[in-house]
Amino acid sequence: MREFTEKELAEYNGRNGRPAYVGYKGKVYDVSHSFLWRHGTHQVIHNAGLDLTDALQKAPHNDEVLKKFPVVGILVSFRKGKQHLPH
Amino acid sequence: MGRVAREMVEKAGINVDQLVELLVKNAAAELTTYYYYTILRCNLIGLEGEGIKEIAETARIEDRNHFEALVPRIYELGGQLPGDMKVFNDMSACPPASLPKDPRDVTAILKVLVEAERCAVRGYTYICNLTAGKDHRTYDLSQAILNEEIEHESWFSEFLGEGPSGHFLRRGETSPFVSKFLR
Ligand code: HEM
Repeated sequence: MREFTEKELAEYNGRNGRPAYVGYKGKVYDVSHSFLWRHGTHQVIHNAGLDLTDALQKAPHNDEVLKKFPVVGILVSFRKGKQHLPH
Repeated sequence: MGRVAREMVEKAGINVDQLVELLVKNAAAELTTYYYYTILRCNLIGLEGEGIKEIAETARIEDRNHFEALVPRIYELGGQLPGDMKVFNDMSACPPASLPKDPRDVTAILKVLVEAERCAVRGYTYICNLTAGKDHRTYDLSQAILNEEIEHESWFSEFLGEGPSGHFLRRGETSPFVSKFLR
């Protein structure tokens, strides 16, 4: 599976027709096809191309919402030991 | 715009431009839901469907009321609705509540209805959290809407067999919580 650094992930911010990827607990999800992530923004305050592990803790939903989106890679800064291991 | 009204919210530490955008997105969700529920309600027919038609209709009318109640607050805070209705549609805070592929599948329609309400419950809970103790009027409004969305969720979830909610369908006027913002 492709490895992403945070800098590489930032390329996939959903703007100007680019795909929208979000990082969560070491995995990179492709949310490009979500109605709620159009142009890489979600509910005004969240942007694709970022690690949103912490932000999701404050969301009014849990990580079940990510289930239906494909995992396209792993976030390496995570693997090198920041918080959680991918699972 | 209510100049001081906006100033007070800014002073409380809220990013008013973001809040207004969130309100517009939720207003879009309400108006589009009103539209999609019209189609769902038309298709709630037959032995199974007719029993659900009335709550679907109440939810539909109350969602339109929510749109109406949100609009003045958006303009008070210096915001506006987009001039292009297609833009408004695309910025909805919730996905479209589209008619299922098989329109005779009443359970599938119920799932669309309950998911739409759950999206709304999440959205207004978030706005309540954001504004609590800071923007009293937006809080009051979103809390009133939240009360109605929670009841809608419970009506549909009961039909799906998720257990009792203790709620009954509306007696009397629609929008018992939001009506004070509509007068
Ligand atoms: C305060 C922040 C947030 C708010 C207010 C918010 C709100 C919402 C709402 C209302 C929904 C619709 C849920 C439903 O249909 O029941 C949703 C879906 C979703 N949210 Fe969030 N969310 C927030 C943060 C996040 C974060 C940080 C992520 C990061 C991964 C995220 C990822 C998603 C995904 C993937 C969906 C499903 C989209 C789809 O089904 O097309 N959310 N969010």
